[in-house]
Amino acid sequence: MSKPKVAIIGVGITPFKARYLDKTYFELAYDATKLAIEDTNKNGANITHKDLESTVYGIYNELFERQFMPDIFINSYIGMNNKPGTRIAAGGATGGYTVRMAYSEVASGLSDLCLCLGVEKCNDCYDEQTGVTTPEVLNAIAYSADMTYEYPMGMMAASSYVSMVNAHYEEFGNPTEEQMAHVSVKNHGNAMLNPKAQSPMEVTVEDVMNSRIICYPFKLLDCCLYSEASAALILASEEKVKELKIEKPIWITGVGAANTDCFIGNREDMGRLYSNIYAAKAAYKMAELDYNKIKNQIDLAELHDAFSGQEVISYEELGFVPFGEGGSWIERTFEKSGEGPWLDGELPCCPSGGLIGCGHAVGATGIMSTGEAVLQLREEAGKHQVPIEKGRAISHSIGGPGAAYAAVIVMANKEGLK
Amino acid sequence: MTEKFQDHQIRDILKINYKYTMGGQSKFFIEVMKNKKLFGTKCTKCGKTWMPPRINCSDCYEPADWVELNQAGTINVSTIVWYTTSAFIKAVPYGIGFIKLDGAETSLLQGIFSENLVPSKIKKGKRVKAVFNKEREGKMTDFFFVPEDEYENWISKPEYEGGV
Repeated sequence: MSKPKVAIIGVGITPFKARYLDKTYFELAYDATKLAIEDTNKNGANITHKDLESTVYGIYNELFERQFMPDIFINSYIGMNNKPGTRIAAGGATGGYTVRMAYSEVASGLSDLCLCLGVEKCNDCYDEQTGVTTPEVLNAIAYSADMTYEYPMGMMAASSYVSMVNAHYEEFGNPTEEQMAHVSVKNHGNAMLNPKAQSPMEVTVEDVMNSRIICYPFKLLDCCLYSEASAALILASEEKVKELKIEKPIWITGVGAANTDCFIGNREDMGRLYSNIYAAKAAYKMAELDYNKIKNQIDLAELHDAFSGQEVISYEELGFVPFGEGGSWIERTFEKSGEGPWLDGELPCCPSGGLIGCGHAVGATGIMSTGEAVLQLREEAGKHQVPIEKGRAISHSIGGPGAAYAAVIVMANKEGLK
Repeated sequence: MTEKFQDHQIRDILKINYKYTMGGQSKFFIEVMKNKKLFGTKCTKCGKTWMPPRINCSDCYEPADWVELNQAGTINVSTIVWYTTSAFIKAVPYGIGFIKLDGAETSLLQGIFSENLVPSKIKKGKRVKAVFNKEREGKMTDFFFVPEDEYENWISKPEYEGGV
């Protein structure tokens, strides 16, 4: 039996901002939904929210939204009452996992037109001690660590990721601090071409190296900033794509996800984000692509660069370069057109600016990066458009305690393109 | 809408009190609190030693028995935290790391204290030993690790003591 075909036919992304004082999380979700419907209609359709049959919600953290089951309140606000809605929460990988479940909703035949909607609004958290939001946001995230064995030790997102990056460095001598800094240079720089990005900046390797230490050896500019935003996709079955006369459907050809052990100390090698490897291999297999040749089979990758060092490891784990060579791949190709993961490189990684450039609105992030890949494949990404020759792209999400969750989505701009 | 937007923010706090059971893992915390001992578990079938302990082997689906572990171990990976959550921001800089206790197969996340907290002092391969608070509550914060060469200094402080 051939696999059911599912396409992304509309994309809506709000600007990623440090703070929306003029919008609640459900108002942001409404904005992204409206943008996605408008985009679908620009893409040949003529639909309203009433035509959407179901919603899959990507929302990571109840403490950010100050609301348990925030999805049901969004469901009311976006006019989706009396239709099915399911919430996905998978840490930083929430977005990618939500795309996976929206794909399943359509591929299973349950819906022909499904809304995939991610939102997060973290900066309502506020730390009275310091008079700023960030330490309290970090605390709300740190509750994702094991609450008995890890949280009381002062574990948090950066110290969790840095453990794996440091172990990777011990094993391979890679990534070095300078190599990691190149990721920050690239992604802050790419964000300068993306009007929706929170942190567009022209920075040098030296600037990154001199920025304040967060968690050895991560510096401030190695880390993404938490953001407020919403992103939405509209997914359709093959029949619906034809019925709506969609001009540029982008087909989901591969979805892969995996949860590795959330206790980093239980892993065979601590310098691995095993979830990356399993998710990527599953997605490529479904798309009939080759893990060892993937770099030459796709036009771009929107990666989950919560921390610079983790993007470097992802180059290796997603199959772009051999293990131990991720750091040198970005460092030696700096300012060499046609090479490396740079915007004008052989495989542009995070042309949007990624999380370091755009910000990280957790539940929305992986949906934004998938939407960005869709716009790239439609050749409508704007100033950060990269050349589309192979017609394929991937988006990648990872997160949770010890980066235990990962999801990879493969997309193609032609029906039947493997 | 033409009216000029003015935002309104409300201060709030979410708070829930707990008295939570550690279930099958309770012995680990009781041994730390009462006896200053570190117990892991060993699978009755495959022999894998779990730390943090779990009374069921997740690999074999067989029971795991309690086994006392050495209080010395080796740092597998570590970091020093300089900027952190609101709950810990007053404690920076602090060291944490994954420590493989002698006899265990998995590594335990714990605080690594040092009189000279620099990356080289707590790097991979360094030997550490457990130091216990004199006043213990049966929590992970009842103990921490220190470099082996600082152990005597730490246990001579009035608030701390060595394990058994």
